[in-house]
Amino acid sequence: MATPTAPLPTTSRRRPHPRLDQAKRTWYFFRRNTLALVGLGIIVAIALIAIYAATLSLPWSTIPSYCATDYGPGNPGSGYPGNYTTHNICHSICTYEVNPPPNAAQVPGCNNQWYKTPLYANGTPKVYVSYAGAIAPTLRFFPSFSTGPMPLGGLTTSIGEETPIYDVAGALARGSDWTLMLSVSIVGLGAVVGLFAGAIAGFYGGVVDDFLMRFTDVFLSIPTILFVIVMVTALGSIIPIHGALGADVKLLLLIIGFVLVWWPIYARIVRGQVLVVREQKYVEAARASGASKGRTLLRHIIPNSMYPIFIQFSLDVGTIPLLIGALVFLGFGPEMFPAVPFPEWGSISAISVADLPIDMLGSCLVPNGPCIIAWWQLLFPGLALFFFAISVNLLSDGIRDSLDPRLRR
Amino acid sequence: MRMVTYVVRRVLQIIPVLIGVVTVTFLLFTALPLTDQILSHYGAPGLHAHCGYQPSCPCSQLNPTQRGPVCVCSYPSPQNVTPGTYCENPIYYQDVKALGLNKPLPEQWANYVVHSFTFRWGYVSNNSYIGTNIQGIKGHSVASVLSGFLPYTIELAMLSLAMILVIAIPLGNAAAVNRNRPLDQSARVMSFSGFAIPGFLLGSLLVAGVTLLFLPHTGATVVSPWCHAGEAIDHEFTYSWPQSPECYIGSNTPTFPYRFPPWMPYGTTTSPTGFPTVDALLHGSYWLALDSVLRMLLPALVIAYGTIAGLLRFVRNSMLEVMNLDYVRTARAKGVPEKIVTSKHAGRNSLNVTITVLGLTFAGFIGGFPVIEEVFRINGVGEMIALSIQQQLDYAMIFGSTILFTFLVVGANIIVDVLYAYLDPRVRLG
Repeated sequence: MATPTAPLPTTSRRRPHPRLDQAKRTWYFFRRNTLALVGLGIIVAIALIAIYAATLSLPWSTIPSYCATDYGPGNPGSGYPGNYTTHNICHSICTYEVNPPPNAAQVPGCNNQWYKTPLYANGTPKVYVSYAGAIAPTLRFFPSFSTGPMPLGGLTTSIGEETPIYDVAGALARGSDWTLMLSVSIVGLGAVVGLFAGAIAGFYGGVVDDFLMRFTDVFLSIPTILFVIVMVTALGSIIPIHGALGADVKLLLLIIGFVLVWWPIYARIVRGQVLVVREQKYVEAARASGASKGRTLLRHIIPNSMYPIFIQFSLDVGTIPLLIGALVFLGFGPEMFPAVPFPEWGSISAISVADLPIDMLGSCLVPNGPCIIAWWQLLFPGLALFFFAISVNLLSDGIRDSLDPRLRR
Repeated sequence: MRMVTYVVRRVLQIIPVLIGVVTVTFLLFTALPLTDQILSHYGAPGLHAHCGYQPSCPCSQLNPTQRGPVCVCSYPSPQNVTPGTYCENPIYYQDVKALGLNKPLPEQWANYVVHSFTFRWGYVSNNSYIGTNIQGIKGHSVASVLSGFLPYTIELAMLSLAMILVIAIPLGNAAAVNRNRPLDQSARVMSFSGFAIPGFLLGSLLVAGVTLLFLPHTGATVVSPWCHAGEAIDHEFTYSWPQSPECYIGSNTPTFPYRFPPWMPYGTTTSPTGFPTVDALLHGSYWLALDSVLRMLLPALVIAYGTIAGLLRFVRNSMLEVMNLDYVRTARAKGVPEKIVTSKHAGRNSLNVTITVLGLTFAGFIGGFPVIEEVFRINGVGEMIALSIQQQLDYAMIFGSTILFTFLVVGANIIVDVLYAYLDPRVRLG
């Protein structure tokens, strides 16, 4: 007769593993924070859009044949460089030309607008057709300030044959993955490097501290944008521009440049915190119970001096696209970083500002003149950046609040 | 006096930082191809160009024997030289030797450090995009060019610093006092938006708005009330501001060593100090001074907006911390009015953190200048940076202005530290 075994204790009765318990509690406090949930929701939405746009993986150069009539390269004899096409279906990508080519017909829908197609060497139109219909159909129904029905959501392009024309909604969707990746990787790398450098400087003190802090002084003195500019121009000049490897290296240079000027802030913050934490009783207790220096540092000091990082992290992640946008605005076009398949939001914003034809503003006050203010190309990238920065901010505030027992309410 | 020793010690402490900064620049500079290094030292006169710009003709340094009104520059421009032909070019060797570029790296580094500290930062390249915008600038030494444009940047920085202090500190204090009330929330939104809105976007919107507001009904192509560096305007400044200036590079366009603010009609004023507003005041032309300040108002606001966003949080948090301290409670308990408690007892002590943060963010503050000056066409160092990275990179200008900005940041940090020590006796006595 087998002895009846005691019933297994149900999981609900048993206390979970302390770490799991901790995680559950953290999640509980996080869940109660509505703003943090909103932030998380926006970030997840951005990530989903990024994944969706990436799975579509439409190439740059697809253009449906019904969309445009190609007048051929060069328009021989017309005196207008480039290739002009008119279209009457793809309103989302028609642009405005100050001097329309003679052989281009006027678009019925667009008032005085002509669709200009940059071509690849083999004659393929270099036009990016958007997913606006798939992602944000409502964007097409916004009214505009112009005198007639406007191509909504299109990014007007007044400069260069090389600049691709694309749809704002589609561009934002396509650029969202690199926005997330670049900003999180740059700030994350900077934070990790700064965390360890600051912890080591604060914990060991003495010569190590002095040496590391002089390093941070040096890098804190160089303005971020300038350092990245100098780094990319100087080191980029010795890298062959062509080739996938060169492109990757350039992107890596950009990231390294940002990380180099980014870690000192974190090192400073963490060092200040470590100087406080290392005098606490629990650190003394750990030392007294025979913990090695490395264990004390990794297990007791670093986890307890991490909280101030979250504030800085949340502010910085939203700033990275702005800084990259500033670089692009100053003239480091997306072609400088060919490894990025599509410009991220900061660059889109910069391109849209730089491409905004200000002449059109001038013609707005002419009686019956063609008046086009491409407000959508200013507004939507800006809004995207704004929501991105705010969501990261809310999210990391929420994480910090639910991790730090002192801040739980 | 302990204060003096503190200042002296602090000034001595920045020497390794300055050398470190220059070392970083040097490491990047040596990574440049040798031709570019030589070009940035000499300003790259074209292959068959006759140097029309005499005052500091780089050619006379290349070939000291060829001094004269027209010196034939035999230095190849980078487009005309294919790699591998350098070795046959005796002048190339001569330059490499003259500049010490064949010496070991430590020696080059020492040379570079000495050159950096003595403002020998090279010459504006002949191929530079700056030259197409600003007449007569090619071939000038980078230091002299930057010194011509620095006053504009300094005036702009002063104005926006004043805005930052005037807006951020009272607003942060008020937000802390009215915690979680509408004022606090709106300050928070402002802080958020300052982080999230790019300066170039905000600036361009403002430019577009002002342009639309003040545009004449002629339909003429008017860029903005801000003329590009080196462009002149046609109108008298005494019209109501900004009276649709027509920016163009025309016959009365100023050539580089400006003797007056470049947007002014030629020959209006002379420029004894280089600071446009100060010069206008010295001349007694108050309209011109007002005009100059008005032109800086919006750009200063845009720069200040981003910095205020960062500062506001710290001011608010430090004020909140101070408000809970014992001495504040004591002050309240003994019946000091709330206004005086917040302004004198708490406000003054929260100033310490504010100043520290301001010093830390100064690099970011200065780093925003290229974009803002490019948007608003301010003739400052930032605009020069923006121009020197267009098309043909002008390495001498890029590196020179980086060194200049870094020096500015280090100098500002010293000022901040001295202020901090003055405000907080514990720092200088401890």
